Amino acid sequence: MSSRRPPRGEYIETDTGNKVARKATLVGTQNIMLGGKTVIQPEAMIRGDLIRTIQAQPQSASGAAPNNTAVSIGRYCFLSRGCCLRPPGRLYKGAFTFMPLRMGDHVFVGAGSVVQAASVGSHVHIGARVSIGEFAIIKEYVRILDGTVVPPNMVIPSFSIVAGQPARLIGEVPEGGHEAFELRDLYKTVGNNPQPMPI
Amino acid sequence: MSSKRTPHPPSGPRPPVHLSSSLTISDTAQLTGTHTIEIRSESVIHPRARLESSVGRLAIGRRCVVHERATLGAAPVSSAGLGRVEGVEVAVTLADYVTVEVGAVVEAGETVVGEGTVVGVGARVGAGAVVGKHCTLTPYTEIAAGEVVPDFTVVYSNGLRRTDKRGVAELKNKGMVRQIDVLRRMIPSNPAKFA
Amino acid sequence: MAALTPYTYIQCPCSDFSTLGRSSDPNLPAGTEADDDDDRTFDPRAPRANYTLYPLEYLLYCEDCHQIRCPRCIAEEIVTYYCPNCLFEVPSSNLKSEGNRCTRSCFQCPVCIGPLTVTSVETKPDPSLLAAPDNAATPHAGPYALICSYCAWSSAEVGIQFEKPNGIHAQLAKLRNGGSTRLTAKERKERRKDPSFRPQPATEGQGTPNEAEDLDLETQFANLKAFHQGQLANPNSADTGLSALGDLGFSSPTSLSRIMSIYTGGSLQDKKAKSRVGAMREALDANEGLQLAKLDESAAIEALRSEGHGSTASAAQLADQPPNLGEEHLHGRGRFTSELRPIPYLLRTKRSKRCPVCRHIISKPEAKVQTTRFRIRLVAGSYIPSIAIRPLSLSGGTGTGTGTSASGPAVPGALLEPLRPAHYLLTFKNPIFETIKVTLGAPAKTPGRLASKVTVLCPEFEIDANTDVWDEALNQGGGSERDKRRRRGEDGAAAAGGGGGAGSQSNINHQNQLEVGKIWERGRNWVSIVVEVVPASLRLEEGDPPLAEDEDVLEIPMFVRVEWEGEAGGDEVGSVATRDREAREKRELAYWCVLGLGRIRP
Repeated sequence: MSSRRPPRGEYIETDTGNKVARKATLVGTQNIMLGGKTVIQPEAMIRGDLIRTIQAQPQSASGAAPNNTAVSIGRYCFLSRGCCLRPPGRLYKGAFTFMPLRMGDHVFVGAGSVVQAASVGSHVHIGARVSIGEFAIIKEYVRILDGTVVPPNMVIPSFSIVAGQPARLIGEVPEGGHEAFELRDLYKTVGNNPQPMPI
Repeated sequence: MSSKRTPHPPSGPRPPVHLSSSLTISDTAQLTGTHTIEIRSESVIHPRARLESSVGRLAIGRRCVVHERATLGAAPVSSAGLGRVEGVEVAVTLADYVTVEVGAVVEAGETVVGEGTVVGVGARVGAGAVVGKHCTLTPYTEIAAGEVVPDFTVVYSNGLRRTDKRGVAELKNKGMVRQIDVLRRMIPSNPAKFA
Repeated sequence: MAALTPYTYIQCPCSDFSTLGRSSDPNLPAGTEADDDDDRTFDPRAPRANYTLYPLEYLLYCEDCHQIRCPRCIAEEIVTYYCPNCLFEVPSSNLKSEGNRCTRSCFQCPVCIGPLTVTSVETKPDPSLLAAPDNAATPHAGPYALICSYCAWSSAEVGIQFEKPNGIHAQLAKLRNGGSTRLTAKERKERRKDPSFRPQPATEGQGTPNEAEDLDLETQFANLKAFHQGQLANPNSADTGLSALGDLGFSSPTSLSRIMSIYTGGSLQDKKAKSRVGAMREALDANEGLQLAKLDESAAIEALRSEGHGSTASAAQLADQPPNLGEEHLHGRGRFTSELRPIPYLLRTKRSKRCPVCRHIISKPEAKVQTTRFRIRLVAGSYIPSIAIRPLSLSGGTGTGTGTSASGPAVPGALLEPLRPAHYLLTFKNPIFETIKVTLGAPAKTPGRLASKVTVLCPEFEIDANTDVWDEALNQGGGSERDKRRRRGEDGAAAAGGGGGAGSQSNINHQNQLEVGKIWERGRNWVSIVVEVVPASLRLEEGDPPLAEDEDVLEIPMFVRVEWEGEAGGDEVGSVATRDREAREKRELAYWCVLGLGRIRP
């Protein structure tokens, strides 16, 4: 698929190295923070419009504008075709509010997966057709296999491999498996000038 | 999900709509088909939700929330479902307080989803299925065509079933009111586009 | 049929008896002993192979023994215990007293194992509130229940509700399913100590064993223990409970103390008891720890009749239930979902790993729960070359195909055609900072009754050192530098002994020619070679046993021998002292691996 060169740039490449497909759907872009070198494939969707409406503490004396970031994404993340990131929402003190979704570096989100976590740590691999329930917390170095349903509020500690509906721990990431989470090489293989995967 | 994108100005005829004045519908929602699409008061249609009325009418109740990329009235995928699309009047009925989560599909063919039911992320309700009141279909659940799901059923873990005994139906409906309250402020509504 | 992506598994030497004995000998360089095995082909289908093959990522490497270590042979030591839900560390001293589960408020759903959250249950939701949504602050007052956000289970279903939203574990310990209270472990212990208190509350019966409803597991064990210790001390007590068995030695104090010593490590071994002959009696009542099995199942049958099978718990659900300390025996009980209890999270651990031979630590995580760093992490991937497998399509792809009939499956994971030659590209990547020489050995036919033919076209070659990554990074885009590098590598290979890696020009690649003894392609620290396979036919003779599971997967056992010259480490314990120490030291590592290529079309 990547060998085919689209006539016009399929991706918009930003100054910080983000590669955002023209056919990706980013709603509320002003509330989406990209750390740089992140790939957003076609048909991926990010709901930046679902911002937090209740601040946990009233804004401190600084008087700064309330932080409206709805989705923040680190560096070298890879959002595959058809995935969807959206902030989780819940009732807080009797009123409904969305809360921000934070994502670390080197996070891979597989095709068609829906992520509504509160936070996703760095070096996390989320397979295809995965549902991450609202307010789940996923720590670093976690592998979520294809088709997993992570229930809302679940905490997945580091070095877990989870699968199933609902997700359960099925193994631990071995010591030698840390490097496999790196997405620098994958980053180069997409975009308007894709390179072959280095060996 | 990776199916062909519909071109930006929706192809084909614009379906006749019957929209309540108090609803919230994103202008990137996609309404296609030939039959009437009726959405009642205070319901919310998220961006990129797809409502297809090519088989029959869509009737969406009060205070329903249809999330992004959810599809109502999709053509059935199973052969059993395909047999149910002939000559139906109402393709999909959503009662009040129904939530259809991201990427979920409700197939056309007299399909009914009862009050307060949550159709989870990526779930699929087959053509002609009748899902009862206050059911919970967990993510990626599949309800076969023509199946009847009793009230308060929870379908989980690849099709296991149990009965919801929490007794929080009222509470959940109340929560939805709050949620809709917030969503209508966030999603720019443009019902005029579809009228 | 499930698609199969090609894989490489490596055999840990721990399963090889010939190396087991000798690798503990520090004067032998690791690897040489493997020479004896050259004539013995490793069979990946042997039952034993199941336990010896690992993907490279799972293997560690001992720098002192110069040997691969696998999860099965390393010795683990627990560094930290923590709860996987709240991520709080649990001191190991707490473990002894509190058990191996989280004692905060972390619970799993007994129905679906999803996480439970504490939620206030408003017993009577006022429907009028719906009409007045402005009534914002919902009263956050008890009672509370644990609710599963996945399958909607609620602890209220089994009659458990809490007064406070915190300290759930302690509250739960006092609650029985159905809501009645029970004594905590501490209270029971105190009660046991109190001699004036009869172990079973005389609510229903008068101490007859049948009525000993409330004899919980711990009390029963304590009673039994006290009773038997009394028996050991005084074996000549008059009444013998089951004297008929006395002849078999079941009730002799000697056999009891022998059995107890097995479990308690000899602390109960009573020297005096051995000399004494005499029979002991068995426990007779609840005071002594006797509890009769309840064989009256009518209640269970009645419940099954009224509730149906939907109300029964599955075997998996029962297996997930924690040992229910403080409750009575679950023999023959725990059949209904109404008897399930929230499961406190099992603690998880961070573990360090030691080499089984030299006891050096080869992996050690930092103790803090939230950090992911390691103090020591010697993984095999940074010592031995990785092997990637890719089907090689000769006819398609580059378009300049020169009419080779053979080709691998074009799509990865596609089925292999029986009896048609297919080609696979093996890419070896060198992780170390020295040039390595690789020698491969594979049987001409795969072992087992379905013998596929295997030809490794270039069984001997050199791979350049893994030079600084930044060199390449800086030179990126400047293709010329890379090409130079590549060519230089080829010259090096041509010079290499044995004519193994005789210079393959990268243009060979474009001509799509397969030549025996030639490398397909080479790069900075990698080399690709071609393996030709002729898959066996899956057609079986009449009367043969049918195909076993995964017998249709084409797996090639391959012996890999890696040689390199390393810095002679004088301070190393296990280094070879005989060779030139001041100069460079020759190193060698050899192991079996298994290449899984794909399934053969039936």
